[in-house]
Amino acid sequence: MAIVEKDLFVNQKIDFKTGNEMAALSVAQINFHVMGYFPITPSTEIAEFLDEMKTRGEHDILMIPADGEHGSAGINFGAATGGGRVFNATSANGFLYMLEQLPVQSGSRFPMVLNLVTRSISGPLNIRGDHSDLYYGLNIGWPILLARDPQAVYDLNIIATKLAEHKDVRLPVVVAFDGFVTSHRKRNVHYFNDKKLVQDFVGEMPEGFITAFDPENPVTIGPYMNDPDFINNKYQQSQAMYQAEAVYEQIAEEYKQLSGREYEIVDEYRMEDAEVALFLLNSAAETAKDAVDKLRQQGIKAGVISPNMIRPFPAKQIRQSLKNVKAVLVGERADSYGANGGNITQEVKAAIQEDKENNTIVLSRIFSLGGKDFYMDEAEEFFQLALDAVEKGYAEVPFDYYGVHPGDIENAPKAVLEPVKTEEWKSGLIQVEKNEETGLLKVKVPPLRALTKKPKRLAPGHGACPGCGIYPGLETFFKGIEGDIVALFQTGCGMVVSTGYPHSAHKGTYIHNLFQNGAATLSGVVEMFWEKKRRGEIQVPDDFTFIMVTGDGGMDIGMGPAIGAALRNHKMIILEYDNEGYMNTGSQLSYSTPIGHMTTTSGVGEKQGGKAFHHKDTAQIMAATNIPYVFTGTEAFPQDLIKKAAKAQWYAQNEGLVYGKILISCPLNWKAKDEEGTAIVGTAVNSCFFPIYEVEKGITTITYNPEEKGKRVPVSEWLGMLGKTKHLLKPEYEATLKSFEEEIERRWQRLVAKDTNPFL
Amino acid sequence: MSKLPIKNELGFFEIRLESIGGLGAHLAGKMLAEAGVLGLGLNGAHFSSYGSEKKGSPVKSFIRLGEREIRASNPVERPHVVGVFHEALFKTIDVANGLYPDSVMLVNTTKSPEEIKEKLNIQSGTIAVIDALNISVEERTRVNTAMLGALYRIAEFLDPEARKNVIRATFEEKYPHLVEANIRTFDRGYNEVVFKTFEAEDGMVTDFVRAKSSLGYETQPIGGVITNPGNSILKDLSASRQGFLPSYDKDKCINCAACDTACPDLCFVWKEEIDKKGRPQMVLQGIDYQYCKGCMKCVVVCPTDALSKTRETDGYADENRVPHNFVLASN
Repeated sequence: MAIVEKDLFVNQKIDFKTGNEMAALSVAQINFHVMGYFPITPSTEIAEFLDEMKTRGEHDILMIPADGEHGSAGINFGAATGGGRVFNATSANGFLYMLEQLPVQSGSRFPMVLNLVTRSISGPLNIRGDHSDLYYGLNIGWPILLARDPQAVYDLNIIATKLAEHKDVRLPVVVAFDGFVTSHRKRNVHYFNDKKLVQDFVGEMPEGFITAFDPENPVTIGPYMNDPDFINNKYQQSQAMYQAEAVYEQIAEEYKQLSGREYEIVDEYRMEDAEVALFLLNSAAETAKDAVDKLRQQGIKAGVISPNMIRPFPAKQIRQSLKNVKAVLVGERADSYGANGGNITQEVKAAIQEDKENNTIVLSRIFSLGGKDFYMDEAEEFFQLALDAVEKGYAEVPFDYYGVHPGDIENAPKAVLEPVKTEEWKSGLIQVEKNEETGLLKVKVPPLRALTKKPKRLAPGHGACPGCGIYPGLETFFKGIEGDIVALFQTGCGMVVSTGYPHSAHKGTYIHNLFQNGAATLSGVVEMFWEKKRRGEIQVPDDFTFIMVTGDGGMDIGMGPAIGAALRNHKMIILEYDNEGYMNTGSQLSYSTPIGHMTTTSGVGEKQGGKAFHHKDTAQIMAATNIPYVFTGTEAFPQDLIKKAAKAQWYAQNEGLVYGKILISCPLNWKAKDEEGTAIVGTAVNSCFFPIYEVEKGITTITYNPEEKGKRVPVSEWLGMLGKTKHLLKPEYEATLKSFEEEIERRWQRLVAKDTNPFL
Repeated sequence: MSKLPIKNELGFFEIRLESIGGLGAHLAGKMLAEAGVLGLGLNGAHFSSYGSEKKGSPVKSFIRLGEREIRASNPVERPHVVGVFHEALFKTIDVANGLYPDSVMLVNTTKSPEEIKEKLNIQSGTIAVIDALNISVEERTRVNTAMLGALYRIAEFLDPEARKNVIRATFEEKYPHLVEANIRTFDRGYNEVVFKTFEAEDGMVTDFVRAKSSLGYETQPIGGVITNPGNSILKDLSASRQGFLPSYDKDKCINCAACDTACPDLCFVWKEEIDKKGRPQMVLQGIDYQYCKGCMKCVVVCPTDALSKTRETDGYADENRVPHNFVLASN
């Protein structure tokens, strides 16, 4: 970005903000119609900031919490067919999960803006920055703008909105910026004091294009189109993409007049007479500029090229820029495995190949993957590689990884704990017998004291917050499980804090998969186990127990595969720890968040009062799949939970799939006291918000009835223990509280009816 | 004339804060940088180390201020000032890494500058100490406000009056009763910080280490698989505690195991013993403080007075720790 005239800043405020804050600010000022979203680090904050601003009444964008990124992309495509302004933000695997939908949107030619806060794609799971997600976006048919710092995020979002809607383009646009480095770093910024300036610049949504809401002109959006028509649709799309370049230049020029900030298609730093250059995307290019200044002082003619737009790829400008450069090193924060260089290397080479006079030596280095920091001295080393190539006249190693190290053999992994033997896992303390008359199970478990003899499934040393309820919940459950297990954890707090590389707190075998797909994955594990057993290829006991552990977030995005696994009735357990929100990404609402509860995407303030709709009843949804056993439990009723675990194991070994939900406290995000976790989940049970019961072969039994025990308390008692719900006890939230109480009572009475009638 | 007293080769004044999640170092860092940017018209950058680390895990916050455009995005490796919010980090983090011979090291501690110098093996520079925990306990405020006061004293180019106005504005509307306590906390941090400068010998240089991962491409098992699970026992989580731990009185214990059920961190150590009637019984031996984060759930669920919340004094955890008797692998 180059600043042209200082006096333009009279309409602008100077501030100190992050890329995510600037993204939210631009979006709020434009006041998009709809944002369908699903949280994923590091883009999540954009939705959080927008929620905060909405709570204060600073915009009125309709924000729809989707069931996953695929769902969010569907919401946004649908909204875009209505002819309104649509925005979304995502990162990494979220982007890949919605990938299928993105060519649908570009191929159907409905504009919107997507902020891609770039992050490494899994696996192994990595939440930090690189460009591996971005590279998957190169072929989706969306123009892609790159924002190198928080200022550019704001400016390019405004430009992108206008670009997408332009009559010669009519394509959705990606604005990509570096995760954490740009998204979470506060920098000096300017923005318009008055959102009207922004809205006037962007203009009204242009009319005369297809919309789903014009009864006088009904349309068929998305026909079935084979050859020979399809290639013509794609040709139109290709033309629109190339047209985006000229349209961008025109809008960027208009924006320069308004803002004083210039975003040329290719940002060139001291390239006029450069003999060696680095070609870098986004924030790394800024670091390299400092190295250029240093090298220039030493008399080395160095420069940096970094595009502000990579779709369409600015081949002409790059050709021009590299005309007299003797060697360029393309640094890439993602690989195109096996292609002898990342995607951008190939495109830079292709661009200069068309210049018959060009003799630039091209080197390619993969660097700074997965958030590895990039330092000025490393940029200097890149320049040195280019200088060496100039001196030799060729690149000795054209392609390589930079910044890897072999590791010291002394530090190679060594066993730390002796594995727990099968006999030790089989304590003999838990007894399950089938009553042949009723067909139901009878379970005997000893006092907790005796059960301390059983080894725990986890080793200490995990990094959960103080007072976290996940492990007390899981370990109490595991006390009822005998013998060997294979555990699969879906992405979530429980997974992240127990497997931070190179450490693992899981004593037995553990598998992770992304949280939309754990149930499917574990069903594959289970079936391979039985298939290998059937073929006589493994000699292990057949009483392995397969347990999938998920948060309530995983049961939102992973609901489909969980139901699929349940309908197929694999011999496995799905165990959900419910902390009423997406805590791993910073406490966004989940469908299990109760009404009125405050989260980072359901703020409490002038314009909204916490979550708008009631909590999901996952146990009843799973019971409706007619699996053999469904239960709920908490650490506050340990004997009850242990008995249910024993039954769960019996059914998972003998009949099929089991689903269980345990309520656990999250002191950090429930804004509750660390030490009160047990009492909090106990009170949730006594208030009938979280009844503990089981559905065994279709028969519902309430295993602890607070009314019969004389222990029932009003739900306000539970809400009063949590900071996130204190507001619900104030008079102005009376209606929400009443609605919550009625919903609890309705669900409780229905459960009581089921408990008394085996046919319900 | 420069507004900044000292600058590195790129022209920046750099601060690094060392803390654990939950103590407010990120917020303090933001406030320092904002004061430079919005108060003095400097260019600034502020960011913290991010990961999936949770409350209680080590965190760093970085501030970079300068008169020229900031382009670098890397963490602060050579700080002019380090602020340590939590002394227990000394055990696991090299908080002094990268200090210049004349940098300032501020520590939230009850120790003297000489003791800190000794403990961190710092050769020269200024050591500043402040008992921010005590101030925050007395004023019923947060540690970060007291630390911020001390940091303002160190970064003399920032205007403490402007900060106090911000504190006032922050609390005035919603929490007017907190204004005075927070201003007092800031002032006490500013006034009670104690300095001692240890002169560097001429020409002295200090070094810094850019950390490398312990495993590399020749030693990582392929696929990112961890082949020695359970190795989390090697970690030391004691720095997650914020001044308190549960103490255990075996005489009052009825071995009900309520604590064991409630403990998120698997800290309770049991052993089978023979009771008076000759029967084998599990008996609680004590707490493995290496993993205790001080949440106090166990204290709340204990039906007797066997567990109680105790202010952690130096050495208490080491003396009273009952280590788990893990069956270690023989390599």
